[in-house]
Amino acid sequence: MKRLLGLTVLLVLATAGAAPAADDTTEGKCMTCHKEKSPGLYRQWHGSEHAIHNVTCLDCHAAENGDADGFQHEGALIATLVTPKDCGKCHAKEAREVQASYHASAGEILESKDAYLAHAAGGHPVVITGCESCHGAKVEIDPASPNKLSVKSWPNSGIGRLNPDGSKGACSACHTRHAFSKAQARRPEACSKCHLGPDHPQKEVYEASKHGNAYYTHIDDMNLDADRWVVGQDYYEAPTCATCHMSSTPKQEVTHDVGRRISWTLRPIVSVKKDDWETKRANMQDVCMNCHGKTFADGHYHQFDGVVTLYNDKFAKPAKRIMDRVKERGLLENPAAFSNEIEWQFWELWHHEGRRTRHGAAMMGPDYTWWHGMYEVAHNFYFEFLHSARAFGDPEVDALIDEVMADPMHQWFNRPTAELKADIRDGRLPAIYADQFPTD
Amino acid sequence: MNKRFTTILRGLSTNWVGSLGVALTTTAFVLFLFIEVLRLLGIVTSSYIGLVSYLALPALFVLGLILIPVGWGILRRATGKTTQELLDERFDPSELETGALGSRIVRMIFLLTLVNILFLGAGTARMLHFMETPKFCGTACHGVMEPEWTTYQASPHAHVRCVDCHVGEGAGALIDSKINGLKQMISATFDLYERPIPTPVHQLRPARETCEHCHWPDKFYGDRLLESVRYGFDEASTPLYTTLSLKVGSGKGDRRGEIHWHVAESNAVRYASVNDEREEILWVESRQADGTWKRFERRGRTAGAHDKVRTMDCVDCHNRATHVYEDPERAVDERMAAGEIPTDIPYIKARALAALTGNYADETAAMRGIEATLSGWYRAEYPRRTAEFAAGLDRAVASLRAAWKRNVHPHMNVTWGAYPSHLGHDDGGGCFRCHNPDLVSPTGESIPDDCTLCHSILAEESPHPFQFLLPVAEKGDPDAGRHRYLQEEFLNTLAP
Repeated sequence: MKRLLGLTVLLVLATAGAAPAADDTTEGKCMTCHKEKSPGLYRQWHGSEHAIHNVTCLDCHAAENGDADGFQHEGALIATLVTPKDCGKCHAKEAREVQASYHASAGEILESKDAYLAHAAGGHPVVITGCESCHGAKVEIDPASPNKLSVKSWPNSGIGRLNPDGSKGACSACHTRHAFSKAQARRPEACSKCHLGPDHPQKEVYEASKHGNAYYTHIDDMNLDADRWVVGQDYYEAPTCATCHMSSTPKQEVTHDVGRRISWTLRPIVSVKKDDWETKRANMQDVCMNCHGKTFADGHYHQFDGVVTLYNDKFAKPAKRIMDRVKERGLLENPAAFSNEIEWQFWELWHHEGRRTRHGAAMMGPDYTWWHGMYEVAHNFYFEFLHSARAFGDPEVDALIDEVMADPMHQWFNRPTAELKADIRDGRLPAIYADQFPTD
Repeated sequence: MNKRFTTILRGLSTNWVGSLGVALTTTAFVLFLFIEVLRLLGIVTSSYIGLVSYLALPALFVLGLILIPVGWGILRRATGKTTQELLDERFDPSELETGALGSRIVRMIFLLTLVNILFLGAGTARMLHFMETPKFCGTACHGVMEPEWTTYQASPHAHVRCVDCHVGEGAGALIDSKINGLKQMISATFDLYERPIPTPVHQLRPARETCEHCHWPDKFYGDRLLESVRYGFDEASTPLYTTLSLKVGSGKGDRRGEIHWHVAESNAVRYASVNDEREEILWVESRQADGTWKRFERRGRTAGAHDKVRTMDCVDCHNRATHVYEDPERAVDERMAAGEIPTDIPYIKARALAALTGNYADETAAMRGIEATLSGWYRAEYPRRTAEFAAGLDRAVASLRAAWKRNVHPHMNVTWGAYPSHLGHDDGGGCFRCHNPDLVSPTGESIPDDCTLCHSILAEESPHPFQFLLPVAEKGDPDAGRHRYLQEEFLNTLAP
């Protein structure tokens, strides 16, 4: 009851604080023309919750005097771009959570290796349509453009879009306009525009996993349109991306801060646990346990942690040391980053293959963990990366490689197959990896 | 007299060429008189007879007249004799005796020539008159003109002659049209024409001379209600109404933005288009009060020296005022609204449209196919209700067959959509050819294209034909804002 009261107060405040109400018939004029000229847009809106609750064109698109992207259109001052700040007039909690989330910083990639690579090896057009389409562009104003937005940065609905009003992100990255349907945002497809491909195949891993399998089998029983969508209560057949990372459980409220249930960062060369990872893991386990027992959830994390540590210790850390040594020794032929083949080999080892391994393990996609993952890491490491490193003929690099290869995890390389098989059978080889698993 | 006549005919029948000439001329003449008498007596009424009596017979008559001297010439060459010798040989001396008015034979030839001239004069006049009848235009080149002839007969201008719009007045127009006709005869004979034939935009008389005989711009005032109904593809074929109050005035006084503003006396609009289809506009400009022209040009384009400039008139919008080809869905909707296709048969809109738009090779196939597609579906889907639907489906089939015959002419490649209409903006063309954001003035303005500029909207695919004149729903209706705006816009238009 208290919550309901709070919500009512919030709604009243939000309505009161909304943009100055335009002439009552202006929005009618918008609809009249846009129904004819962009009927899809109009019809999406017409069937939406927004339409039912009388949230119309100008509630989102009205601009204020002085807005850099405001322009006069048929007698109204409007802006094409709707930012989290606009949405936040009504959806205050969600906007706040988004601003605090990892998603909101996705647009600040200019200094990243990825953006550098696309700019240098690719070129500006591919940066716009490739990188910024997911990460978000820095929206540029062009006074000559009919809607004041530069064609270089509009259209763009990247999740970390840097908006002229200072806000970060684009709600429409997940909540596709103009229906803004709950069901659409809850489906894995909402995330799949960006979370896929060789460097982070979350979509593919999900689809390969039992979770995805169950979801697609029972999609009609997922109750995706429901107002209330609490796992285990309003639906129970399968989780979607949203279920585990965002949506309500009987104990947790829905959150738009997507990192609150993630305990490892699987992005960098070497994975590390995130700040306050125990709480975050507990949050995730709370989700798991609506369908699984405690031992199942613990067992999953035991196995998952084992893979991440193995990748870190056996390949990522050694490869990074070798790569650093090569650079320190000034062995790279060309000066620019990524202008030497070994850099691409190292890059793919962690940024593509290593991530696939870790994501496969995190989301129970066995094929991505091994064949698309660790198998590729090993192949790259032993037969591409180390080959390139040895080819420099540098004594210090060679010494480091020898040191790495002397590690019990790599010693198999110089032993007879029959002996190794015997070691596998009697558990001596698996025992080498005992340290990779968490001790708890 | 009679004897003399036969003598001269025999004398002229020199050989087979001459005989043929005599026979052709005489027969054509006699037949012409005969048919004319029958026509005048009202015994022959078919207007196709004009093709025989005013075209074929005079042509044969002239051909015969040419053959006679040709035959004479052949005879001279063959015998090597002079004309005098031949005359002596072929005619009685009494015929050749020279009197005050020349010989009898000369007088006879003079008389016959007079008759010929009279006959040819009368014949030519009748022929020209006949060639101005729609029947001639529509049926002389039967196959080629069939689509235009069909649509013309079903049009609002069915009582206006083809030549009134397509030829014009005066000797110049007449000669032009005959030369053009000759070209058309050649292309029809040797199969040189395009299928479908392109709209003759250049041969048409200036619309201001023709259309404005009856429709003059000062007469366009007030608003005009346009109601249409579109039936749904659901089981009930639910009707949805669109009602527009068209602002068709000439835009005088306060009401500047009216549709016939374009042709009002004080205004002038001219444009250049990509080609004669006039569907893609390169630029358009209108004359300002100070005599300068304000131009809206396609973005990023600079005017070419070869732009063909055209001043806008009636046919730039009313390009299908007479030869009206229907949109298939509208054809079905209108026939349903008119009661020709019963609306109480389930899925009738969807099935009728499917039957009408089937891909039929020719008319026979279409007539059979429409029946098979429509009735066949109901026999398969509603086997127990065939008797109940039978009469209604028969009417529907008859109506759809007529619609097909009016609009589709496979031998001319005229099928649905072959001749788009520029009136309105059904497929994004029409008004929107110029009224769109892609044509801009040097200051970046574009021509207004908002919906209520040219029409108020009283219903738009709405359940009620005057939906927006009904009270606005208090809440819960996503359309409330639009409803309120359109209602006020219409009422303000009425009382400015």
